[in-house]
Amino acid sequence: MLLINCPYCGERDQSEFTNGGEAHVIRPKNPENVNDREWSEYVFIRANPKGIYYERWVHSHGCKKWFNAIRNTSTDEILKVYKMGESPPPIKGFKNTLKSPSGEPDVGSGNFAVKKT
Amino acid sequence: MSENKIYFKFDGKTYGGNQGDTIASALLRNEVKLVGRSFKYHRPRGIYTCGIEEPNALVQLINEHNEPNVRATVKKIYDGMVVKSQNRWPSLKRDLGSINNLLSPIFSAGFYYKTFMGPKGFWKNVYEPLIRRTAGLGKPPREFKSKSIHLHHNIDILIVGGGLAGLLAAKKLAGTDQDVLLVERDNNLGGILRNSNKIKSIDGQKSADWIEKTEWLLKSANNIKILKNTTVTTYNYKDHLIAIEDKTVGAQPDNNKPELVMHKIRTKHTVLANGHIERFLSFRNNDLPGVMLAASFEKYIHRYGVVADTSPVIFTNNSSTFSLLKTMVDMNHKPKAYVDVRDSKKIEKETLELINNYNIPFYPKSEIEGCEGKNQIEKVFIRTKKDKTLKIKTSMLCISGGLNPDIHLFTQSKGLVKWDEKILTFKPEKSFQNTITLGSVSGNFHFEKLVEEVNKKLGFIEGCNNVNTNIEVLGPKEFYIKEIWETKSLKKSLWSKSFIDLQNDVTTKDLRQAIREGFDRIEHLKRFTTNSMGTDQGKISSINALGIASKLLKKSVSEVGTTTYRPPYSPVSFSAIAGRSTYEFYDPVRKTPIHPWHEKQNAVFEDVGQWKRPWYFKKNENESMRDAVQRESKKVRESAGILDGSTLGKIEIKGRDALQFINLMYTNSFTKMKPMSGRYGLMLGEDGMVKDDGIVCKINDQHFIATTTTGGAASVLSHMEEYAQTEWPHMNVFMNSITEQFSTFNLSGPKSRIIIQRVFPSVDFSNEKFPYMTFKFLDYLDTQVRILRASFTGELGYEIYVPPKHALKLWERIFYSSRDIELVPYGTETMHLLRAEKGYIIVGQDTDGTVTPIDLNLNWMIGKNKNDFIGKRSLNRSDIIKSDRKQLVGLVPIDKSYGIEEGQHVIEQENLSTPIKKPVKMLGQVTSSYFSPTLNHSVAMALIKEGNRKIGSHLFVSTSNLNTIAVEVVKPNFIDPENVRLKS
Repeated sequence: MLLINCPYCGERDQSEFTNGGEAHVIRPKNPENVNDREWSEYVFIRANPKGIYYERWVHSHGCKKWFNAIRNTSTDEILKVYKMGESPPPIKGFKNTLKSPSGEPDVGSGNFAVKKT
Repeated sequence: MSENKIYFKFDGKTYGGNQGDTIASALLRNEVKLVGRSFKYHRPRGIYTCGIEEPNALVQLINEHNEPNVRATVKKIYDGMVVKSQNRWPSLKRDLGSINNLLSPIFSAGFYYKTFMGPKGFWKNVYEPLIRRTAGLGKPPREFKSKSIHLHHNIDILIVGGGLAGLLAAKKLAGTDQDVLLVERDNNLGGILRNSNKIKSIDGQKSADWIEKTEWLLKSANNIKILKNTTVTTYNYKDHLIAIEDKTVGAQPDNNKPELVMHKIRTKHTVLANGHIERFLSFRNNDLPGVMLAASFEKYIHRYGVVADTSPVIFTNNSSTFSLLKTMVDMNHKPKAYVDVRDSKKIEKETLELINNYNIPFYPKSEIEGCEGKNQIEKVFIRTKKDKTLKIKTSMLCISGGLNPDIHLFTQSKGLVKWDEKILTFKPEKSFQNTITLGSVSGNFHFEKLVEEVNKKLGFIEGCNNVNTNIEVLGPKEFYIKEIWETKSLKKSLWSKSFIDLQNDVTTKDLRQAIREGFDRIEHLKRFTTNSMGTDQGKISSINALGIASKLLKKSVSEVGTTTYRPPYSPVSFSAIAGRSTYEFYDPVRKTPIHPWHEKQNAVFEDVGQWKRPWYFKKNENESMRDAVQRESKKVRESAGILDGSTLGKIEIKGRDALQFINLMYTNSFTKMKPMSGRYGLMLGEDGMVKDDGIVCKINDQHFIATTTTGGAASVLSHMEEYAQTEWPHMNVFMNSITEQFSTFNLSGPKSRIIIQRVFPSVDFSNEKFPYMTFKFLDYLDTQVRILRASFTGELGYEIYVPPKHALKLWERIFYSSRDIELVPYGTETMHLLRAEKGYIIVGQDTDGTVTPIDLNLNWMIGKNKNDFIGKRSLNRSDIIKSDRKQLVGLVPIDKSYGIEEGQHVIEQENLSTPIKKPVKMLGQVTSSYFSPTLNHSVAMALIKEGNRKIGSHLFVSTSNLNTIAVEVVKPNFIDPENVRLKS
C-alpha cells in the first residue's frame, strides 16, 4: 500500500488513487499525418521497465486531478510527483537505489532477501 | 492461580480450566496430550509449542461461526466452549486414515504431481474426492458472517511487540511528542519476562512488578496507545502495517460487538520488537505427542502454572535451556535426563553447575536418536558420545534446536537478512523502509545489552531521554549453540519418520529425495515438498530445512538462502478482511425514486450495475416473463408505454471550449447543430472501438448535456476528465455527473403525444413545433423539467427529465392523465425487444470492445469533415478498413416458427455430424434475439464476417443441440425502416 503525495492534496493512501499508465506519451498533434505504425505505437505500445518509470496517477477518490509520478518499479519507491504539463524534475539523489545493470537495487526489490557475503 | 473454573468440552468430554487458560494449557492441565491427527498420514499429534508458531494443535471450534484450524495454543477458553479435534475419523484415538502412514511411499515429495497422473477422468472422479476426504484440516463455517470492522491509524511510531524490548522502547518514547502505538499479540505485556525466568530482576524488582509499573507509566503518558490481543500480520510498503485484534479473547463471541478489528496502520517509523521463535530438531518420530519445545514447556509453567510433566527428558544444542532446567529444579522437579549435543567443555558453566548440584542424569556430546510410543511418547533412545544407544522411559521430551529471530515481518518489509555463523540463524542486516529492530529479533540475545541497543537505535528521535533500566540475567549471558539439524536414525520401519514440517507432514527423507531429483533451489524445494507451506509457515522448522538442504548441497546456509516470507504472518480470518463490506454493505443497492411504485405494480427487478431496474411487470401472479414482455411490447407499439430511465448516466459539460471538446469526444459533428436540439452520439476509445453511446443535447455552444449508458456513466465521465486534464488542459471545459439530479421517463408509442400534451398543456407538442430530436425546458411546480423528443423504441417518444423530489408525483400524474388511454409501464426486457426490432444497438451487448462504428454500419455518425476526434485515426488503420471484418446484420428465421438463441454461432453448413469431427467454420455470433409480437416471428442481430455482403443470403444458426436453424440475412432494421413512426 503506497503512500502517494498528491500535488494538490498531500500524502494519501494508494487506495484513493488509480494508476494511469506511462506518462509523457504524447498524442500526435495531427493524427491524420502519422502512419499506421506510429499511430499504433501511440495507442498500444507502453514501456515496462524495471527501475525508473514515469507514470500517471489520478486521485480518483479525492480531487480527481491527474498528475505524474516517478516510481522505481523494482522497489515501488515513488521518487517524485509533479503536476500535469510540468517537465519531469531531476532524480539525481535517488540514483543509488539502482545498482546493477538490470536495475536491481541492493535492497528493497524483494527478489532476494539474503545478504550475499 | 485463580480458582474460577471454566468448563469447556473437548471431543465431547468436559474439562475444567482456569481463567486465562488457552485451550492447550487447559488440556495439559488435564493431562490431555493427544489433540489431533496430522494432515497427510493421520499420525497422532499433541501440543508442540505455547504460541502462535504451533504446527500441530489445530482444533475446530463448534459455534455459530464454526471456526476451523484454531490454534489451541493461542485461543483462550471461555465457559461453555465446544472444541473438537480435526482430521480424524471415526475418533481421535482410533483413526482409520492412519493407514496413510503405511502407504507413505506413495505420499512422498511431489506425490500430488506424480501419483495421480491418470487415467483420464480419475483426478476429478476418484483422486480428488479421496484426497479431500483424507487430507486436510478443519471444516469451514456453513454461512459467512462478519462482525468485524476496520480501523485506520496514522501515527509516528509503531512498536510491534510488548515484550522486554518493546516495553523499553515505549518507555523511552513516553512523554515525547511522538504518537506511539504499541501492539502486543498476547493478552498482557511482558513477553519473555512472563514466559521464563531468564531475567532475575529488572531495576531491582521482580519482573511482574516492573511490568505493572511500566504499563502504568505508559498509560499515564498521553502519547502512547496500547493494543493487546493484536497480531501484526502484514508489513507493506510504505510503512503500512496491518494488525488483527481479537475482541473475543476469553469470551463467547458477542453478536453486538465486533469480533475482530483490522487495524490499518500508517506510520513514520516501525520498531520491530517481536522477539524470536524457538526451533525444533529432526529425529525419528519427533512428532509424537509429548515432544514439546523447551521454551514452550517453560512458558506453560510461568504463564499458566501448568507443569506438563515433572520429569521430562531435555534435548538441546544451546544455552537457552538453562532456564528450563533452573525452573524445574527450583520446583523440586528433577528432569530424567539432560541430553546436550555439545561437548561438556563447550557447555556454559551455569548449566554444568546445576547438573552437578542436583545430580541430573547428564549426556553431553549425545543426541536423541528417536522416540517411540503409541498415541504419545513412551520411551526415548539416546545415542551417547561413545555411540551407544540407551533407552529411557519418559512421557515428555523437551527439545531446543536454537533460536530464530522472528524476521518474518522484517523480510516482508523487504529488509535484507544475513546468516550469523555465531548464533546460527538469519538476522536483520539492512532495512529498506523506516524499520528499526530491537532485542532478539535483531539477533541480540544478550538481555543486559538491550538497554544500550534501545538507547542507540532510538536515539535519533527528538525529545526522548535515555532509559536507565538495569537488567540482571539469570544464567548464561551469551548465547552458545552447536550446529545440528537432524540426528541419525537407527531403526527403519514404515512408521518411523523424521519430520521437517509437522503441519504438512514433510519428512527429512522427502527433502533428500527432492534434492536427489534436482530440486536444489530452495524456492523449488519448498514448493515440491510443500515444506513450510502450512498455515504455520514453518515457524519452528523452516530454518532447519535450510540447514539440512545446505548440508546435502554442500553449501553454506547463506548460499542456499531463505525463501521469501510473505504476508500474512499468521492466518487472517476472512471476516477480518471483509469487515463491514458484506452483503448490502459490500455493494450498495441503488433505487430510483419510482421504485416503490414499481414494487406495487409487481415489477420483477433486474440488477444493472448497482441499480435495481424493473425487468418486466407481472400483470397477475400467473403471467410468465415471456407473456409479460410480449404484452408490454405490443401495447407500446399500439398505444403507449413508459419506462423508468432514471438510471441513465447524465453528464453536464460547460465552458468556453465545450463545443470543441464535445467534437473531440464524440464521432459526430456538433458544430452545425442548432441549440436546443439533441443528437445520438457515439464515443470511441483511441483504438477506434465503440466505448459508449447516448444522446448529446446542445443548449448552446458552451453548454451540453450528454447521456450515457447506465453501466458506463462513471467511466465516461472519467474518460472525459482524463482527456480534459491531460491532453487538452488549455481548453476551458468542465464536466459534472448529474445522473442523480434528474429522474428520466421514456414515454413512447403512437399515443404518447396525447398523453404528454395532457400532462403539460402549456406546451405545443405538435410535430412542427416540437420536432424529433429537439428539447424544451418548462417550469413545473417550483422547478424545471426538460422534455426531449427522442426514442429508443422506434415509436414517437418523449424523454422527461425531472428532479427526483417531484419524480414520483409526476409519474403518477402521467398515469392519471392517461386513465382513458392504454399506457403500460414496461421494463428493460421490453425496452431491449423494442430497440432490437428497430435495429438499435446496445453497447456491451451488440458490441464487445472489438467493434468499430464501421462494423455497425454507423458510418453516417462519423464526422468526416472533423480534423480529429478520439479514435478517428484508428478507423483508417489497415486492420480496421478490411472488408472481411465482422459486421452487424439482422437475422430472420426462414421457418417463422423457430426462435433464435442469443450467443449461438452463425455458420454456413446446415448439417452437423454427430459427434462433430471437423472444426465448424464460424462466421460470427448472435448478439441479440427476441420474438417480435408485432411481426409475429423471431428477429435477431448478429455480428458476422463480411455481413454486409451476405445480406439476402441464407445461413444457419446453431442451437443448444446439434440442429441448426436456417436464417435469412437482412438489414438489422425490422420495423419502420423509413422512420415514419419516429418522426410522425
